[in-house]
Amino acid sequence: MSTGVLGTEKRGIRELGAEEKVGWDEVTRGVVLDSFEGDATDIVHKKAEERNYSDFNSYTATVASWRIIKPVYNRDICIDCQNCWVWCPDTSIISRDKQMLGIDYDHCKGCGVCVEVCPTNPKSLLMYSEATDNDEALAGWPQKEKKEKK
Amino acid sequence: MAITSIKNLKEFSTANDRFEGSHLLCPGCAHSMIVRELMNATDDNLVIASNTGCLEVSTAVYPYTSWDTSWIHIGFENAATAAACAESMFKARKRKGTLPNPDAPVKFVAFGGDGSTYDIGFQWLSGAMERGHDFTYICLDNENYANTGGQRSSATPVGAHTSTAQAGTHSYGKTQRKKDIVSIMAAHGAPYVAQLAPNKWKSMAKGFQKALETEGPCFINTVSACTTEWKFDPKDTINVTDLATDSLMFPIYEIINGHELNILYRPKNVIPVEDYLGAQGRYKHLFKPEYRHVIDMIQKEVDEKWELLQRREEARV
Amino acid sequence: MAKEFELNEVEVWDGNYAASQALRQAQIDVVAAYPITPSTPIVEGYGAYVANGYVDGEFVMVESEHGAMSGCVGAAAAGGRVATATSSQGFALMVEVLYQASGMRLPIVLTVVNRALASPLNVRGDHSDMYLGRDSGWIQLDAYNPQEAYDLTLCAFRIGEHLDVRLPVMVHQDGFTTSHKAQNVTPLKDDVAYKFVGDYVPVNDMLDFSRPVTHGAQTEEDWHFEHKAKQHKALMDSRTVIDEVLAEFKELTGREYKRVETYYMEDAEVALVVLGSSVETAVIAAEELRAEGIKAGIVSPRCFRPFPYDLVRDALDVPSLKAVCCMDKSAPGGAMGALFNEISAAAYTTESRPLITNYIYGLGGRDFSIEEAKRIFKEQKAHADAGHITTPIQQFSGVRGPKLGFFETRRG
Repeated sequence: MSTGVLGTEKRGIRELGAEEKVGWDEVTRGVVLDSFEGDATDIVHKKAEERNYSDFNSYTATVASWRIIKPVYNRDICIDCQNCWVWCPDTSIISRDKQMLGIDYDHCKGCGVCVEVCPTNPKSLLMYSEATDNDEALAGWPQKEKKEKK
Repeated sequence: MAITSIKNLKEFSTANDRFEGSHLLCPGCAHSMIVRELMNATDDNLVIASNTGCLEVSTAVYPYTSWDTSWIHIGFENAATAAACAESMFKARKRKGTLPNPDAPVKFVAFGGDGSTYDIGFQWLSGAMERGHDFTYICLDNENYANTGGQRSSATPVGAHTSTAQAGTHSYGKTQRKKDIVSIMAAHGAPYVAQLAPNKWKSMAKGFQKALETEGPCFINTVSACTTEWKFDPKDTINVTDLATDSLMFPIYEIINGHELNILYRPKNVIPVEDYLGAQGRYKHLFKPEYRHVIDMIQKEVDEKWELLQRREEARV
Repeated sequence: MAKEFELNEVEVWDGNYAASQALRQAQIDVVAAYPITPSTPIVEGYGAYVANGYVDGEFVMVESEHGAMSGCVGAAAAGGRVATATSSQGFALMVEVLYQASGMRLPIVLTVVNRALASPLNVRGDHSDMYLGRDSGWIQLDAYNPQEAYDLTLCAFRIGEHLDVRLPVMVHQDGFTTSHKAQNVTPLKDDVAYKFVGDYVPVNDMLDFSRPVTHGAQTEEDWHFEHKAKQHKALMDSRTVIDEVLAEFKELTGREYKRVETYYMEDAEVALVVLGSSVETAVIAAEELRAEGIKAGIVSPRCFRPFPYDLVRDALDVPSLKAVCCMDKSAPGGAMGALFNEISAAAYTTESRPLITNYIYGLGGRDFSIEEAKRIFKEQKAHADAGHITTPIQQFSGVRGPKLGFFETRRG
């Protein structure tokens, strides 16, 4: 498990449904769930890696197993336009300081929207089968497509 | 309020998400694009209420929550009331001095799908709008009861196939028109009402900010393309939404104080509605010879609506 | 600051006004309400306090009773004191949210002025709405007169908001017979009443931004049962707190309330089990019959929920007790009355094992007279003398037409 910005200590640490099934005496009163442990004042100014997520926060779970295809990110071509960031439905594009850093594979479901909205030529994000090695994918990245003359 | 800068997307991307991954929405669901954008458009604390629906059943399934803000779900119909009365509680406690963070800025927001907004929660929404609570209601309009497998709602457009308004040998799908929720909300005299779409991220973020900044009850209908029930590939959510806004099936506009209408997006090249309909399985049957007249009918109504919006904008009344 | 309301030592209040005064004194943060006969004057009374500066909180007149309870839930989750009032159809419209309020463990106070349920439409008092709430997970307290409506409403806040309880509480009174009947009521001074109720202590406060919380999560088959079990235990455990609060209220006022009220049961041979304003009617009947030599007594589960199974058993475990009639003021819908079923279950475990019958009475505000109460007592005496039930087990009291009765005893 990677740590730091690209994979914090608490991100995606268990499959949904794999949590311990506690008894009636231990479930939370009123079905209430805390999003964080401890004081979470001003959470809006904290990045994921600075936050103290509680085990109830879905940030700590992974849906990686939903995925059959995955986006692979090519830093060399990316222009940091942030299209993928704004339209990712799974909060899975990791951007810091206006830079695209990579993909959160714990939360990405492989929908492929990021690839569709990527404006570069060739695209900086492409979908590959889940089994494909990322380095292999990058090694075989397609060349710039020539625009057809109208 | 502390507004996240949205001069450009790079700047916007420095927002720290408060809507977390590993929710259970379908891959490619537009709901979370819209919710993320709302939450990223402000630095204020948020108290969010959600009606029962796709968003709710996917983001707060015990023992997980995807919400980094205060959040409440009661039932299918009453998120507007929950947010509105949480706002009343805020006012009461502010007056009495019992707020734990008395100076912290806060905004009250309610989310509902079109089923809970146009149909079952309509009365609760109308009541909250009439009473003038300081809150913003956002409808995630995917034009059907997607959470229960795609039944017709009063937001389902003419000609769409749903499981309870099916296309078949004797039917072209839903025969009734979509309810004009934006006009109805504007008729409440709400200070800010808009229809926005996530493909136009900037106008959507700005609309959200306007609604949050405006005192009083604001309403926003957002187009939420539904990969599962509209039947298109998950990757195409934004592409289909582009077709929706560029064909003017979903015009993007705002209405201020119940009368001042501003069109927020004018497509450079308006495309025929046929292109939008053809991109989705739910309209597939309309391309059979016996139902092609429905496409013409839809096109005519879209043209008329666009004309009406432009004239209203011009008239400034 | 809200103005103090000048009160006389003894006021002449009906049940509605008594309840509204108790709500005012509790200094509620948000009242979200919708008017309905016969509880409307509670809301109107509160509205008058708002208009004249006696209330600091918000008064939200919503568009329906469902909206009222929805508003109460949203407001309660936002960390303050919340209450509303309703009756009958309004109560029925609220039912969905009643279950949500209790499952979410929000200490809302609901003053219910009991009224019949349509169809046919009827505005008068019976217990149909109170019974409709009995599986909703709320604590249900029953007031028999305006003084009790006032007292129990104050107690309701203390009970529901207690940190070991955190459950919503209904305080019931009978439509018209209590709600519109003016009687002497001895109120507490505003400061004394508020001191008794105490400051609201927020739990899982949506307005505490240092601790974002999610209210109203979904639970499927993996988790739902545990949450409902925990909720039931909380409701059962609230009995201790109810007793403590009622004891403290007695300390303060001298007025004593018990979860099960008993009258003349020490040596009773026959007894009625009744709720609401009928208790007072039955007590007068019992006193008159005692003068005639019939040892009549009354049992009333003032705390309808959590049902005081053990206390009912104790109340009925009187060696002299031979016959008991459970009086249900709600159309039973193809079953024995609810009181009959629940009291019978408790009585089954007593040594005395009295004969138990059921009367359906008073529907839609039909009067329940002292004479009728005496007749029913005497019928129990006949069962007692015969050693078996001499009538159908379920009968109707006060209805016109041929006699209605269901189920025969197996003996006799």
